[in-house]
Amino acid sequence: MSFVRNLPQNFFDGLSIGSVYALFALGYTLIFSILRIVNFAHGAIFTIGAYFTYVLTGGTLGGGNFPFSNTRVPFSLNFWIALVLGALLAGLVNVAIERFAFRPLRNRNADTLLSLVSSLGVSLMLSNLIQNLVGSDPLPAPEPIPGSKPSFDVASVIIQTSRLLTFAVAVIVMAGLWYLLNRTRTGKALKAVSEDATTSSLLGISTNRLILFTFMLCGVLGAVAGTMVSTNFNITGPYMGSEYALIGLAVIVIGGLGDIPGAVLGGFLLGILQTVVSSISFRIGFWDWDFSGSSWKDAVPFITLAIVLLVRPQGLLGRAQIQKV
Amino acid sequence: MKTARLRVGALAAVFVLVPIVASVPASALTPKAGARCAPKEVGKTVGKLTCVKDGSRRKWVAAAPAATAAPTTAAGSASATTPASGGAPIKLGVALGLSGASTANLAQDQRLGVAVAEKYINDNGGINGRKLQVVVQDTGADEAGAIAAFNALIDNDKVVGIVGPTLSQQAFAADPIAERKKVPVLAPSNTAAGIPQIGDYIARVSAGVATYAGNAVKFAASIDPLSKAAVFFADDDAFSRSETVVFQNAVKASGLELLPPQTFKVNDTDFTTQVNFVRQNRPDLVVISGLAQAGNLVKQLRDTGYSGSIVGGNGLNVVQTFSVCKQQCEGLIVAQAYSPEIPNDGVNVEFSKLFQADNKRIPGQIAAQAFTGVLVFAEALRTLEKDGKLNGSLEQIRIDLNKALLAGKYSTPLGDISFTPEGEINQKSFYVAQISMKRGATGDVFSGVFKYVKF
Repeated sequence: MSFVRNLPQNFFDGLSIGSVYALFALGYTLIFSILRIVNFAHGAIFTIGAYFTYVLTGGTLGGGNFPFSNTRVPFSLNFWIALVLGALLAGLVNVAIERFAFRPLRNRNADTLLSLVSSLGVSLMLSNLIQNLVGSDPLPAPEPIPGSKPSFDVASVIIQTSRLLTFAVAVIVMAGLWYLLNRTRTGKALKAVSEDATTSSLLGISTNRLILFTFMLCGVLGAVAGTMVSTNFNITGPYMGSEYALIGLAVIVIGGLGDIPGAVLGGFLLGILQTVVSSISFRIGFWDWDFSGSSWKDAVPFITLAIVLLVRPQGLLGRAQIQKV
Repeated sequence: MKTARLRVGALAAVFVLVPIVASVPASALTPKAGARCAPKEVGKTVGKLTCVKDGSRRKWVAAAPAATAAPTTAAGSASATTPASGGAPIKLGVALGLSGASTANLAQDQRLGVAVAEKYINDNGGINGRKLQVVVQDTGADEAGAIAAFNALIDNDKVVGIVGPTLSQQAFAADPIAERKKVPVLAPSNTAAGIPQIGDYIARVSAGVATYAGNAVKFAASIDPLSKAAVFFADDDAFSRSETVVFQNAVKASGLELLPPQTFKVNDTDFTTQVNFVRQNRPDLVVISGLAQAGNLVKQLRDTGYSGSIVGGNGLNVVQTFSVCKQQCEGLIVAQAYSPEIPNDGVNVEFSKLFQADNKRIPGQIAAQAFTGVLVFAEALRTLEKDGKLNGSLEQIRIDLNKALLAGKYSTPLGDISFTPEGEINQKSFYVAQISMKRGATGDVFSGVFKYVKF
């Protein structure tokens, strides 16, 4: 009974975390749709974005004996301005990653597997760089609305302010992305490149410039996701993106590799499933066995992935690949 | 093609030259009196000048005579007060989860504690004149990483003993390797039941949770009339599983109703399910066994209106907890095996002073235990050296070191300690603390303190 009673609460919490999964996975899927590669460094960008915003709001970096321990910038920006600037800075880092880790391989027509390994290396390097510059201390994320009530009650559903804001920001960013992709020339060009890069290039579209733009955009998406997660659960350290990197992969496969609406659907689906499954607990007296759903939370994305791959291998909204022979 | 080669060349040059340039301190060649020196040069003498730290500045000054230049600390039972100089350094291994998502912040504090210990020991005569050299290996947060680090320390680095690993979960996997190879191991933070029982060469300076975790529940019951307790623990962590058993027994012993124990994962940050459980069952005491990230459970409970008592396990007994639950940490009760407020014959005062000078914060239990691990090894090595047993084969030194280590008595930041023949620590003093938060103007990280409470 408690499962049914908790359903509205779980649904709301699932929507909030699902919106972050969707935002994060969009970064993966946009790059995949254009380059056919998975950018594993996206988890590190998620982390870097959260750190940038924290620093720009005037937060003091962690203690210890590191080059930037206990330091802070001499100014303190409003959270929302810091979020935008932090996301842009993270976007620039992602552009640098494209320039130094992906483009040299692309210019040599290297196998996509090499790009995958390269992005894994960059991811590790960035996490270690953060660790060696500022240490591993968790950092208290800034409050989006200083002095706001941490939660309020709506028909017995506790709405945490930070989760509501996370959901709202994710929806606004996703709406903006939809507009960009469907209503602007750049968006149309991006779609064209994702369909056929060679033909697009012959038609006068600057592929390299568009790829750089995509990396910038994905950096911004990852950073916004990272910052909003940190407003809920703080910055847990240089490896905070690693868990989301794995879940994000499951999301894009479930939604359909390279499919943008699919990534959004997959994100929300996994967020809600995870919270609902976590809330289930029961006892089977005959076997003297307690089932605790929270122990299975981490397995939910991958069990869902396995089921989707069995039933619909191309993903929920993906198109089946037809190969001409 | 030519451009590509040039780029590769330039990139290689950057990778080769930057570390070389960075590793050469600006003042290394010809230091001048009064010029600034690098942090790692503190204590170093070049020609007639010594690098000293004066407040927050470091500078080269004319070298003082050895007797006055050396620190005048009570280095445990250190006999010498001059820095170590002669002979080949003695290598001590340290295996820490520096790059593990769940262990990085714990391991970072352990590494800082180890660094302070290394400097403290070498500044106080080292191992009767020989330098102690700490070799650190990163284990990550998993068992495979711990096994690899132990193998590397034992077989490649040829260390005499090992301080580590960070997690009990890792100790159960890696300690048997040291046991088979007869290499003494001192666990700095493994508090799960059964650690010293892994073998003859495994001991710990981290008291088992059974010894003191229950004190926190007793204290909570003494300040508030309690009737019902909810217990949460990370079920993928051996230490948390072990600690929760102690907590559950303490709850029952205090006559409270124990709700069905609830689980989470050690890396979890979203505790919606656990918060809903508390909202439905309305306990007046919540007991949590997890690592620092479990501070999020404290925060989310308080954010959603829970106002009862909260007891945190040893994993929350770290300064990093303050940044996680922020002002919502206020009132959190933790049992401690170390308190920075207790003098302990001056060693703790000295450790605390050195740690704060290097790291600008008060040391916590994790750093103190790591410091103690290295200090105990150094004391045992001094005994071996005095008995002339440091010149044999490495295998024999390791065997003798284990015997000396278990037989010794040590004055440490944890108080006076010794070991049972099995390798369990004999520690006299345990504490209960309550977190008191003071919110800084910018939401500062270090605005909390563990206030020692007597009860």
